[in-house]
Amino acid sequence: MTTTTSRAPKPATTRRRRPFNTRRAGAWALLALAIAVSVVPFLWVLRTALSTNGSLASQSASLLPADFTLGAFMRVFGLQSPADAVAEGGSGAAIDFWLYLRNSIIFSSITTAGAVFFSAMAAYAFARLRWKGRNAVFSLFLGTMLVPPIFTALPNFLLIKNLDLLNTMLGMVLPYVFMTPFAIFFLRQFFLNMSREVEEAAMLDGAKHLRIFFQIVLPNAAAPLATLALLTFIGQWNEYFWPLLVGSQDDVRVLQVGLGVFKSQSPQGAPDWSGLMAATLVSALPVLILFAAFGKKIVNSIGFSGIK
Amino acid sequence: MKKSLGTVAVAAAIALSLSACGGGSGSSAESAKGELSYWLWDANQLPAYQQCADDFQKANPDIKVKITQRGWDDYWSTLTNGFVGGTAPDVFTNHLGRYGELAANKQLLPIDDAVKKDNVDLSAYNEGLADLWVGQDGKRYGLPKDWDTIGLFYNKAMLSKAGVSEEEMKNLTWNPQDGGTYEKVIAHLTVDKNGKRGDEAGFDKNNVDVYGLGLNGGGDSSGQTEWSYLTNTTGWSHTDKNPWGTHYNYDDPKFQSSIDWFAGLVDKGYMPKLETTVGAAMADTFAAGKSAINAHGSWMIGQYTGYKGVEVGIAPTPVGPEGKRASMFNGLADSIWAGTKKKDAAIKWVEYLASAPCQDVVASKAVVFPALKASSEKAAEAFKAKGVDVTAFTEHVKNGTTFLYPITDNTAKVKGIMEPAMDAVVSGKKPASSLTEANNQVNDLFK
Repeated sequence: MTTTTSRAPKPATTRRRRPFNTRRAGAWALLALAIAVSVVPFLWVLRTALSTNGSLASQSASLLPADFTLGAFMRVFGLQSPADAVAEGGSGAAIDFWLYLRNSIIFSSITTAGAVFFSAMAAYAFARLRWKGRNAVFSLFLGTMLVPPIFTALPNFLLIKNLDLLNTMLGMVLPYVFMTPFAIFFLRQFFLNMSREVEEAAMLDGAKHLRIFFQIVLPNAAAPLATLALLTFIGQWNEYFWPLLVGSQDDVRVLQVGLGVFKSQSPQGAPDWSGLMAATLVSALPVLILFAAFGKKIVNSIGFSGIK
Repeated sequence: MKKSLGTVAVAAAIALSLSACGGGSGSSAESAKGELSYWLWDANQLPAYQQCADDFQKANPDIKVKITQRGWDDYWSTLTNGFVGGTAPDVFTNHLGRYGELAANKQLLPIDDAVKKDNVDLSAYNEGLADLWVGQDGKRYGLPKDWDTIGLFYNKAMLSKAGVSEEEMKNLTWNPQDGGTYEKVIAHLTVDKNGKRGDEAGFDKNNVDVYGLGLNGGGDSSGQTEWSYLTNTTGWSHTDKNPWGTHYNYDDPKFQSSIDWFAGLVDKGYMPKLETTVGAAMADTFAAGKSAINAHGSWMIGQYTGYKGVEVGIAPTPVGPEGKRASMFNGLADSIWAGTKKKDAAIKWVEYLASAPCQDVVASKAVVFPALKASSEKAAEAFKAKGVDVTAFTEHVKNGTTFLYPITDNTAKVKGIMEPAMDAVVSGKKPASSLTEANNQVNDLFK
């Protein structure tokens, strides 16, 4: 008897859930669709990367790699001889992958560290210090976000050339390393919301601005700083035009520029699609790893600053 | 967009660099040693030139050649940047469409003295190729390395299905009024989604499955592979004289009626719409079975014959109203940067690149046609050994039906004006008569 009574409610609950379930199923289907829409392109990239170039176009409808080969990845890592690459319908160009990877890491790390640190200082000045014309200067700063980067590319290039810094890492990082208006804006919004009491208490204790900045503001802003660092790093990792202009020599050429050799080989020629896709995958990997490692922190910090 | 802005930036950078660059070279004993940098863009030719470099180093142990390949899209911007920044390669592959400006900006080293001193036989090259590289100032800025002409690549399976014989393909005629047998074949090879051919009743031009003729783009100022093989069979030519003409002829009714016919193919549904060609390689769409015939250059032979599962034939371009075929004759050369510090070594390398030992190596790889007559023939044999009949390309040279790539000043600006103008016409937004206005703008550049 007890067993039947205990069993009886169960079908009832499942019956009650059933209409609820179809809605859930709808939601799940929508979610699955959203995942498919965002993941399928990546699968397509992978599928292209594993294909032989010469078969890609004629087997364009197949979901599986056309003539499976790892040749494209070998090309990216410079393990394939030009003759073999050309025979596979790929680019005979070789890239010095590890060297470019190193350069990319150095370039992105220096600019990220510099930009985040200096932007934090500037944002502190804009948010916590009171000085004449503060808001006017800040508006001017925000205004510079409206200037398309291409306008500053040529003057910057000539400046770097006249400083004799072409093809040096210093010349590559200089335009980015001090600050970006966006970073200052982003951090200023956060700093504005920090409680003034803590700061005042510190001042009563005799702390000056430098100490407040380093010991109170920076540690408290760890989450937004991490967010900004990651966003900047990704942006710098994908930067193409400036490194192309300034760092054309091997010892400073970054990965994104190096990958350009797969893009086009001759006028009107078809790109080395499989090489390009393999290279894109490989070059996106470090960023994906970073995102996997710090993604949660970022979501938290954005949620945090959003609620406040 | 990004690309064109980049080009502008680079052009401005060259202008600014004029004062900065001089041709300082050390004493000749020193400059015939050391590492030379050499740039080219075509990765398919890299193995051939790497072998040339290896052979060259064996004969000249004091000189090392470092080859850098860079895709076409970035080649010119990085090169001009190199001129400005002082990091340009000592020797580089040069293009007719660019060298006029490079020479005018004093970025190229004249090599007349060396050519005379070393007795380079200029008559050994295919007719006209060596003359192309004599600038407006009468100085020679390069030695020819290869040449290219235009042919019709066609899908053999599609032709046999349509009942078009390869013999027919080899004897096509064309005129701007009704398109001749060329248009008939194109129409017949066009198939809509219901399987109806372009010349059948009920053909649905808005739902085309296979286009008779592939489209690469509007063709900007030269129309090298797009329309010049047609327009120049009417007696029309791009400029008043070539090289170094100062007047363009895009206002000529002969030209405009040809372009009207060409743009009309899109309207009839025989050729894809211009907007569908953006971001796609014409050769790839051909291999995907989306077009039956593609007019393209001989440098694309490897690409077209490299597709697996597609049988490709090559026919000569059609005979036009003047009773002859026509093909643009383009040639590349190796030039020396004026700022090189290893002048003598660079000259040695350029002469080697232009000599039979290297051009025979290039010929043996069957990728392009070398500039030397004898090497050209070897290349044709190498193609034959690979199972590719290239007479469609070589015939133009043999029969003298080529015309030279238009070489003038201001080529970048001419292209900048003609590209949007031609695109507007080919996409059907404007009639070909609108090119008269563009032509006036072009000719104002030379005043």
